[in-house]
Amino acid sequence: MTETAQDSANGANGAKEGDPIVLCRDVVKRFGDFTALDAVSTEVRVGEVVCIVGPSGGGKSTFLRMINGLEGIDGGEIVVDGIHLPGGKKDIQNVRREVGMVFQSFNLFMHMSVRQNLILAPMTARGLGRKEADDRAERLLERVGIGDQIDKYPSQLSGGQQQRVAIARALAMEPRVMLFDEPTSALDPEMIKEVLDVMRELAESGMTMLVVTHEMGFAREVAGRVLFMADGQILVDAPPERFFSEAEDERQANFLSKIL
Amino acid sequence: MSFDVNIILRYYPELLGGAWVAVWITAVSLVCSSAVGAVVCIGRLQKHGAASRLATAYIDLFRATPEIVLIIWVFYCLPLLFDVRIGRYGCAIIALSAYGGAYMAEIFRAGVQAVPRGQIEAANALGIPIFHIVRRVIVPPAIGWMMPALVNFLTELLKATSLLALIGVAELIFVASTLGSKTFAYMEFYTAIAVIYFMIIFPLSVYARRAEQRRLRRTGN
Repeated sequence: MTETAQDSANGANGAKEGDPIVLCRDVVKRFGDFTALDAVSTEVRVGEVVCIVGPSGGGKSTFLRMINGLEGIDGGEIVVDGIHLPGGKKDIQNVRREVGMVFQSFNLFMHMSVRQNLILAPMTARGLGRKEADDRAERLLERVGIGDQIDKYPSQLSGGQQQRVAIARALAMEPRVMLFDEPTSALDPEMIKEVLDVMRELAESGMTMLVVTHEMGFAREVAGRVLFMADGQILVDAPPERFFSEAEDERQANFLSKIL
Repeated sequence: MSFDVNIILRYYPELLGGAWVAVWITAVSLVCSSAVGAVVCIGRLQKHGAASRLATAYIDLFRATPEIVLIIWVFYCLPLLFDVRIGRYGCAIIALSAYGGAYMAEIFRAGVQAVPRGQIEAANALGIPIFHIVRRVIVPPAIGWMMPALVNFLTELLKATSLLALIGVAELIFVASTLGSKTFAYMEFYTAIAVIYFMIIFPLSVYARRAEQRRLRRTGN
């Protein structure tokens, strides 16, 4: 752990395949008197896909949002590719450039075309030129299967297409880690698959992913590890085969019996 | 009694002059109101602290004061209290901007708060610098949402210029009553300025409605 501490100063240290890229040590989050996260520790290695499941209110989303600084840290620390949180504004900004996030409600910029949604961050936060940003936007939209929608506005797209735009928008920053906060929960059933297919392809390409989800089929099939969170703690951390066959925690068993 | 159109035509340069005064005072006051409103709005958006309380007090004070009282006060009382000399046009702009600033602050605030939190959060998550978040993510849709209120305020401001006759600003009411007392054709001139006000304000309303529809078609909210 001391090596990582030394690397802390100025951000991205270029973790390689198999190195830990997200490190959480005794992470605590409080909202007033309520302890949302109670000394959570885990690590995620480059290329890993980790699904986080559990009952609502268990701290899954809060945990995810702390990894890119959307929520402050009240105790412990999170290290993302050598950048330590909690840290200054600069550290948070650096982490956010390395970590992409996809939200349940898409959160696209509704007054911008799909193209503008995709080029804004690369141009303003990475200093890309217009041409380069455009090329990247076109390439990414092809990749998520909606290259022909580039000049439309989000309101003209279906929910599934909007979420794929949101994924492409996050990818346009070329992040090293992608966070997904219930990416399919707001979608009509017939659109869930198209989004999961994109995420599956992303996982296969070697992207490091943390996915809060209720899609147990996806977790079983794509995840390398499944974390079960409840009451602000990680109660179970197991590969999917084991996670879904033998419950090691009573609440996990209870949760699985309800959801499967 | 007959309606003498010719007398209006004879004095149309004076009437247009009055219209021009009303329009430029409105324009200058709108710009100043926006500046005042922007500052007050920033204060108002703070969750606590002196700036927030000051901004709230400002809004309460100037929204509770009738424009006409404000105009008279700035023209007659302000110079006495602070021993300054301000022309009638300066007073007109100060009074309308002080009053307008309170309204603009609330219009700005409503616009900014209408931007969904999720979009700002997404922009933060993408690492977009705060300056660009404000300029590209918050302001453009906020302006869209503000447009109807903004045009409404603009028409209110234009109509409020009619009160300036009281301090001798040669806007439309002043011109009409002057011409009326000279020719006794009060009916003709007051009718003429009613038509002039309508001709200025109506296109604004139409334009605002069209702009709103265009925006709705495109962004869907």
